[in-house]
Amino acid sequence: MNKRKVIKTLILSLICLIVVAIILFPIIWMLPAAFKGKVEIWALPNTWLPKVFKFDNFEKIFSDNLMNDISFVSSLGATSLVSVIAVVCSLIVNMFAAYVFANFEFRGKNFLWYYFLITMFIPGITILLTSIRVVSVLKMTDTIAVLIIPGLVSAYNIFFFRQFYFGIPRSLEEAAIIDGCSRFRIFFKVFLPMSVTPMVIIGVSVFMGYWNSFMWPTLTIVNNSAIAQVMQVIRQLNSTYSGEYGVVIAATLISILIPLTLFTIFQKKIIAGIAISGLK
Amino acid sequence: MIYTEDKFQLVDKKRHNRYKYRGQTTAYLMLLPAFVLLSIFVILPLILAIIRSFQDYNTKAFVGFSNYVYLFEMDTLFYKSFLTALLMTTIISVILLVISFGFALVLKAMDNKFGKLVKVLIYVPFFISGIIASVIFNLIFNYGGGLISSICVLLDKDPISFTNDTTLAYISIIVPTIWLGFGYNTLVMYAGLINIPEDYYQAANVDGANWFQKLWFITIPNMRNYIVLLVINMVTGYMQMMEIPMMMTGGGPLNTTLTPVLYLFNSFRDPSRPDNVTIAGAILIMIFIMAVNIFVFKTIKTRRSEDV
Repeated sequence: MNKRKVIKTLILSLICLIVVAIILFPIIWMLPAAFKGKVEIWALPNTWLPKVFKFDNFEKIFSDNLMNDISFVSSLGATSLVSVIAVVCSLIVNMFAAYVFANFEFRGKNFLWYYFLITMFIPGITILLTSIRVVSVLKMTDTIAVLIIPGLVSAYNIFFFRQFYFGIPRSLEEAAIIDGCSRFRIFFKVFLPMSVTPMVIIGVSVFMGYWNSFMWPTLTIVNNSAIAQVMQVIRQLNSTYSGEYGVVIAATLISILIPLTLFTIFQKKIIAGIAISGLK
Repeated sequence: MIYTEDKFQLVDKKRHNRYKYRGQTTAYLMLLPAFVLLSIFVILPLILAIIRSFQDYNTKAFVGFSNYVYLFEMDTLFYKSFLTALLMTTIISVILLVISFGFALVLKAMDNKFGKLVKVLIYVPFFISGIIASVIFNLIFNYGGGLISSICVLLDKDPISFTNDTTLAYISIIVPTIWLGFGYNTLVMYAGLINIPEDYYQAANVDGANWFQKLWFITIPNMRNYIVLLVINMVTGYMQMMEIPMMMTGGGPLNTTLTPVLYLFNSFRDPSRPDNVTIAGAILIMIFIMAVNIFVFKTIKTRRSEDV
């Protein structure tokens, strides 16, 4: 029996190893390519490691003459700024709404809840063209606002926070009300400190959404390359430097460093969050 | 309901209402930002889209369903792109469901430190965007100098072009997509697996059930909610695929891998393609996605009532 158990563990470990290897392989294969020169990157047959590790590609993406009027460094800055502001604003707005739906009784609550809920089922593609029309009427095109504001509210995130607030005991809130605390203050004194875990889970996912967004910035930031977003720039590098592909790989590597750092820091909470989000 | 107390209800209905609805102003104020943003950036564009789908692009006159009819008669490219997305969604979803469920079973059996590490590692691609994944996989699928072509050359064969052949083009889109989604799907499946009470399996063991019977009669029925969540996520997401097809094949060869969103993206500001027809198409996609959601939701609901 014991021997069977050992063999079982061995086989399972082997499967795990193979799967992890397959998943990580494309990233591992990519890493040295950032140090390859023009000839080596598209050599046939190709090798994993370059003969000499060159840092030219990295120098190039940080230099000023990368592309006409686009700078990779400024896109990193702009995207970070947009993502951080978006995380803060989105947490505030969505948590407010979730707190109201979880703890208040008011006229029209049912209607408003469904009003929020149906937006979960409206695909981005359906409202894409008319959204662009709306933001251009609001004179938001080519500003930082168009990158941040339209995507802030997410019914899914409100739903997630609301489920979490249902788990916080009512007696806590009742006690605070008796002490004369306003409902608004209760949110900041009682609910906010207790929701660090969902805030991390949603915060990271909002950050990722903004960091990785491509289509919306491409269609709304047309004449303002100062706030071009990282994915936009990488896509343009991909077509401009299709021969000198090491440059694109170098930019790609740098652009995934920030998300991966976030993941490494918060991995426990994020993985636990998947278990929560699956429960409905 | 929580705030209602019997004495209030009996003594004074009005006073009770005031008690029940206390803080109503605060509620409206705190809800206001989300309500306004949602109305302007989701509901308003939706209403505009519905209106425009019934209008003629040039004259703005209402033309009934002719945009929708045109979509199926004349504008074959959008219709074709819808079928392409449907095919891709089906292939990817089925493969992902099977392999992520299988690997979740493995992870559940690997209840040790190594298993924990594996969970973290397979989740890494989830943080990578479609654009980045395409750049990464270009090093594998590229005709002149990609990994697969290199292997072919080493084996004395011709390098393979993944953009010239429809099947190969599909593969070059499907593989990165599965790579991106595998970790998330597996971990959701895993969360479902560990939530099944261990007693069920013990009871089955007493009855002498074999591994396959336990899987079929206990595990899969109890995973229903998680599978539904994943199917809805996948259908909604993959019907709107765009970044990977754009980067890997550009919709080619001969538009066989063109997806609806990529079509929309390409036709943006292109005067030769009438917007309103495309919008009508996008509304059809919304209806399709909603129908799938409702169908899947309904299926679990009826199943649930059977359980009770």
